[in-house]
Amino acid sequence: MAAVQLAKKAVTVPPTVRTLASGVPVAPLIDLKVRAPAGHGHEHGHGHAPRSDLPARWATKVSRSSSLGLYNKSYTAAPVTGVFQKSLMHTSAVARDAPQVPDFSKYQAKDESRNRGLAYFMIGSLGLLSASVAKSTVTEFLATMSASADVLAMARVEVDLAAIPEGKNVIIKWRGKPVFIRHRTQDEIEEARNTDWKSLRDPESDEQRTKKPEWLVMLGVCTHLGCVPIGEAGDYGGWFCPCHGSHYDISGRIRKGPAPLNLEVPQYDINEADGKLVIG
Amino acid sequence: MLARLPAGALKNVAALRSASFNGARNIPRVRFASTSSSSSSSSAFEFLTGSRAALATATVLSVGSVAWYANLYGTLPFIGEVHANSPAEEGLHPPHYPWSHSGWLDTFDHASIRRGYQVYREVCAACHSLDRIAWRNLVGVSHTVDEVKAMAEEVEYEDGPNDQGEMFMRPGKLSDYMPAPYPNEEAARASNGGALPPDLSLIVKARHGGADYIFSLLTGYRDPPAGFEIRDGMNYNPYFPGNAISMARVLFDGLVEYEDGTPATTSQMAKDVVTFLNWAAEPEHDERKKNGLKAVILFTTLWAISIYVKRFKWSVIKSRKIVYTPPADKP
Amino acid sequence: MSLANTVYNAIVKRNSVFVPTIFVGAFAFSIGFDVGITKFWDTWNKGKQWKDIRDKYVEQA
Repeated sequence: MAAVQLAKKAVTVPPTVRTLASGVPVAPLIDLKVRAPAGHGHEHGHGHAPRSDLPARWATKVSRSSSLGLYNKSYTAAPVTGVFQKSLMHTSAVARDAPQVPDFSKYQAKDESRNRGLAYFMIGSLGLLSASVAKSTVTEFLATMSASADVLAMARVEVDLAAIPEGKNVIIKWRGKPVFIRHRTQDEIEEARNTDWKSLRDPESDEQRTKKPEWLVMLGVCTHLGCVPIGEAGDYGGWFCPCHGSHYDISGRIRKGPAPLNLEVPQYDINEADGKLVIG
Repeated sequence: MLARLPAGALKNVAALRSASFNGARNIPRVRFASTSSSSSSSSAFEFLTGSRAALATATVLSVGSVAWYANLYGTLPFIGEVHANSPAEEGLHPPHYPWSHSGWLDTFDHASIRRGYQVYREVCAACHSLDRIAWRNLVGVSHTVDEVKAMAEEVEYEDGPNDQGEMFMRPGKLSDYMPAPYPNEEAARASNGGALPPDLSLIVKARHGGADYIFSLLTGYRDPPAGFEIRDGMNYNPYFPGNAISMARVLFDGLVEYEDGTPATTSQMAKDVVTFLNWAAEPEHDERKKNGLKAVILFTTLWAISIYVKRFKWSVIKSRKIVYTPPADKP
Repeated sequence: MSLANTVYNAIVKRNSVFVPTIFVGAFAFSIGFDVGITKFWDTWNKGKQWKDIRDKYVEQA
């Protein structure tokens, strides 16, 4: 009876092993010839370190006796999880002996300074075009804030000067405000020019206030509180504001009363050929 | 590619014929056609699926024929359409005319605008207003300042109030708008048998077909076809929706005399007045196209350079190497 | 390339030169671009624009 009766083995399989349909375990990925990495540490005086790819010895233990046969068996089994799915596709890199990286040398610049020049040229051009486009955009946007064409068209008034006789006042409307136009006589011009204007409250010479001496063009708004002065009135033969008694002379300059400034002169042009006055 | 196509198709036909002759024996072969490459019945199908060029050709052919059909008949094939209108109610679709301003970079023909204004003033203005166009708009487009001033002064406008608080009449100025033929809508309807002559300022934009439609309408007057009832005071025009229009034909050869000596045929006058009305609807047209040209050039260039700069900035990231050196394996 | 180096040293090397160059260039470019486009525009639309037919009517007035 000394012969070993039992030829029974318990094999513990790690979870990387699958079972074939026939019940045979297959562990295709396990390299049984692999060694533990060198310099791994814990082997001083212990001989071989436990192999990581095999189950530990204590995990499987079969005790036998010569008479009774098998009397003790203990094993740690891998969890039985049924059929393992074999991975047929994988995205991991193929293991190679030496690292193989693509060859980038063809992207390397042939000429360093030329390459640098091109890069800065392109970046400079991008900045240049962007600045140009941005400038046009901003300009166009600001242009939308200016007066529209119909308002500008209304903002110009033409007056036929031939219709105004000498020594007469004409009041026209321009941008909602009255404008005085006076065809002055020679006496009035001399009177306006001979005044000692430097001593006035708002010193301004008659030459500064008129483009042609016989035509006086002013905004008919009193500079005190905005009343409309009356023509050919007042102590100085010019305009008189009835509200608070400001007297303007024949050049529209303030001479007496509360107003601080001379009557305002708008922008205007005299078209000699057509005999027309364009205000605005 | 096309030369090879019939060969595959013929093979397919032959396979089908053989299948019908010795039926039962062939069934399993047809079933597993995809696994047996030697089977003749599968070769045409494999040929189609296996060759990209063949697939692309077939796709282009089918898409192309659908597009061709849609271009010819205006609808997609095999898809029915329901119309509430009959074609007569909708009006005949006008053909496309080669307008001098129809290209992407083409401005209006300003000589034509000038003639068209003359036609409008002498013919259309009797009934149609042009509310949104002021005299000043003509300056620098079709007339000089002095011409426009003279034209505006011929018209009296009401202005005021004056010092006495009364309204008064004065000759027109550049800032005045075109005078309307009727004081209000009711007067316009009363003078035109109940129909309102539309304002022409935006008529080219406001009508389906635009300039083509108006040109066709002006030149499209003819006798009604037999059986078409038309009421008194209405006129037959195939291009007008419903085909009965209150406006009678107004343009006849030699009606106006152009100052530049262009022969005033009906179609010449219609073309000129439609160009004028198109300008009235889109006074910004010339400037718009010019700005569009500039914008397209600038933004295309900016886009191309942006792509270069992106690739430039990314080249460092894209071409770097990451190398892993494993620890030395001591034997 | 000597040209590339010359340009780099003259313009790009100092940012205080590079940035003003870009702005001045943008100014010059917008003027030049406008002129060029207008020239092309007038050639393309020869005889159609108001400025082409203006002479006929200015003399009359």
